[in-house]
Amino acid sequence: MIQRQNEKIGITQTLACAVVTLLGLGASIDIAAFEAIITNERSGNAIHISDDGSTNHIAKLCNRPRGMTKGIDNSQVLIACSDDDKVITYNWKTKAIEAEINNVTGAMNLTVHKPTGRLLVTNEGSARASVYDLESGRLIAELPTGLEPDGVAITGDGKLIFVASENAGLIHVFDGATYRPLDVIRTNLRPRRIALSNDELWVSSEMGSRVEIFDTRTRVKTGEVIFAPKGFRSEQMTPVDILFNPNSNESYVALGSANHVAIIDTKTLEITKYILVGRRAWGLGLSPDAQTLIVLNGLSDDFTMIDLNTKRPILTKRAGLIPHSIEVFK
Amino acid sequence: MSVFRFLTILFFSFIGHASAATFHVVIVTASGAESGTRGQSFAGIQTRVERPVRRGVELALFESTTSFAAYGVAAELKIIDLNGQQPIEAQLAQIPTDALVILDLPKSEFYQVARTLDALERITINVRHPDTDLRDQMCLPSLYHTIPSERMYFDALGQFLIYRGWRKVLVVHGPSTRDKERTEILKTSLKKFGAEISDIRQYTLSHHPDDRDKNKPEFLTGGASYDVVAVIDSDKDFGRYIQYSTRRARPVVGDVGLTPVGWHRTLERYGAPQLNERYQKFDRGNPLTSYEAMSDAEFAAWSAIKLITNSLSVAEMEGAVLRPRQILKHPDTQVDLYKGTRGSIREWNHQLRQPILLATGEAVIAVAPMPKFLHPKHYVDTLGLDKPESPCQLN
Repeated sequence: MIQRQNEKIGITQTLACAVVTLLGLGASIDIAAFEAIITNERSGNAIHISDDGSTNHIAKLCNRPRGMTKGIDNSQVLIACSDDDKVITYNWKTKAIEAEINNVTGAMNLTVHKPTGRLLVTNEGSARASVYDLESGRLIAELPTGLEPDGVAITGDGKLIFVASENAGLIHVFDGATYRPLDVIRTNLRPRRIALSNDELWVSSEMGSRVEIFDTRTRVKTGEVIFAPKGFRSEQMTPVDILFNPNSNESYVALGSANHVAIIDTKTLEITKYILVGRRAWGLGLSPDAQTLIVLNGLSDDFTMIDLNTKRPILTKRAGLIPHSIEVFK
Repeated sequence: MSVFRFLTILFFSFIGHASAATFHVVIVTASGAESGTRGQSFAGIQTRVERPVRRGVELALFESTTSFAAYGVAAELKIIDLNGQQPIEAQLAQIPTDALVILDLPKSEFYQVARTLDALERITINVRHPDTDLRDQMCLPSLYHTIPSERMYFDALGQFLIYRGWRKVLVVHGPSTRDKERTEILKTSLKKFGAEISDIRQYTLSHHPDDRDKNKPEFLTGGASYDVVAVIDSDKDFGRYIQYSTRRARPVVGDVGLTPVGWHRTLERYGAPQLNERYQKFDRGNPLTSYEAMSDAEFAAWSAIKLITNSLSVAEMEGAVLRPRQILKHPDTQVDLYKGTRGSIREWNHQLRQPILLATGEAVIAVAPMPKFLHPKHYVDTLGLDKPESPCQLN
């Protein structure tokens, strides 16, 4: 605990000290600032880690768990089990699998629209995305896409759905109510992940070595960030996950085989820093206080925690085999 | 009327586009000129897969359906099987002006067809021949190469040997002219990256006792100090007998053992498993087993089509036709090769730049360029002839 406090600075530390003071020094009281769940593709499990990087629990899940998102209940995560063609609801507090939706072929990535209780999943081998009612597990709609759909997102008001087709180099836009295809957005090579921030749609182009930004309403491209750190050639940059910091003007992009994470100023679109992490950085997670960025390194089977105040890596610890996705909880 | 077999397949893709631009794809074959034993060695032993590249082309067109719809393109595939009894020019003259012409031809037919089509200003793609003369000497303005050159293959191997610290190489080659030419290219690549050639030895197929030093692998690889044996055996006649029979316990690379290839069925990363699965299953009437994958030639044909599909954003569509010439000349033309680094065109010799896989029959051991082999401009340009070295300067 003391060690953890030493790693933090400023307000966090002050707050943590205050909490400690209020609660007394009872050793059994869990005051970990966060707990994170990481899915591991190859070992078929999820690990629970705490903010000092230690693994508290390993939960055997299914075959090839990849995409993960927070459920409607804060104690739940939804996990795409790609080789089992299903989506499971995992309760990270009770450590139990509580529900399954079956026949979700090639479940790849997923997202939840909380107000309407809908789950959206991309079906990697089947060139479509599927919409389910989370409560009943009922299939509501199937949305045809180009080959190898990956990233999926829905706007906060539930009106627009975006699905990236890696092979086609397109973002398919669907009406969130009628599921009618509305539009396609042409992207650079191999669009992977999608992130929404207000009216902006950020798309990582893995083979195009850039992030492209589109207006969600007009679908016009409004900006782009091309990665080319010193000492690298642009074609070595293979960006995948994108994450916005809700507390600042920063976004983070994992650069895949380039083994770095880029920090972008969302106002100017300048790349303010490249941080060296492990091999094939894909998944990104942010601590609830937005002070720590966690990067999953798929080829070195570990994760790196980065202190966002100093912009330096604090630690790198072992994950399962091929860590894929992360969700972080208080 | 038609002097050749003429096959037309339309890939319809109209979504929201009243008038689509046509992308003419033509495969030129000469089935009558092919050897009857493609991929076979003595006694009909199948040592490698040599299929027509058409399946690779059809896969690429199948994959492109959604992109074509988004950009308002409709592809049309024609196959021209040349009749050796008829004048070639007349048969080729029917190819549409703006077609992308894939040459699936044996080397004997390749030269004349490529020259004729160059004179007719048709864009042609070499998908079968890694031979350096087609790039360095022939060097036609309308000819592109999506199959890697021998130099790219051997440079990849050379980098791997240096990376592993296997610097002393015993070279064993066959007696054919092609084996000798390729041995020269291998020597150049080994020298380029600083490997040392312990000795160069020629294999003979004769079993006569007087030839023992040249036909028994144990003798052929004796009396020298080496870290690795590099085998050049273009026809796959003898190389497969060298492994496990060398005098010293050393790995075997080159045309057997660890081999540089453009594509492989066991590549696990970069979306490659999806591509391999599609290749096996997309043609529902003719599925392949999960052991089958694109040959380097099929992958090269697939790459040629995807180069156009992936670069539609730079296409200047003039009327109802897509112009591959304009796309291939554009500096931003690129292709997702499912090998971790995007492909693009070397403007000086029209070679598709791409990573090379170093693979055994069972696994991809490495993807070249190897770590620490750096190029000032482009990540994969340490493989093959760089601009200053190339006798071909088309830019």
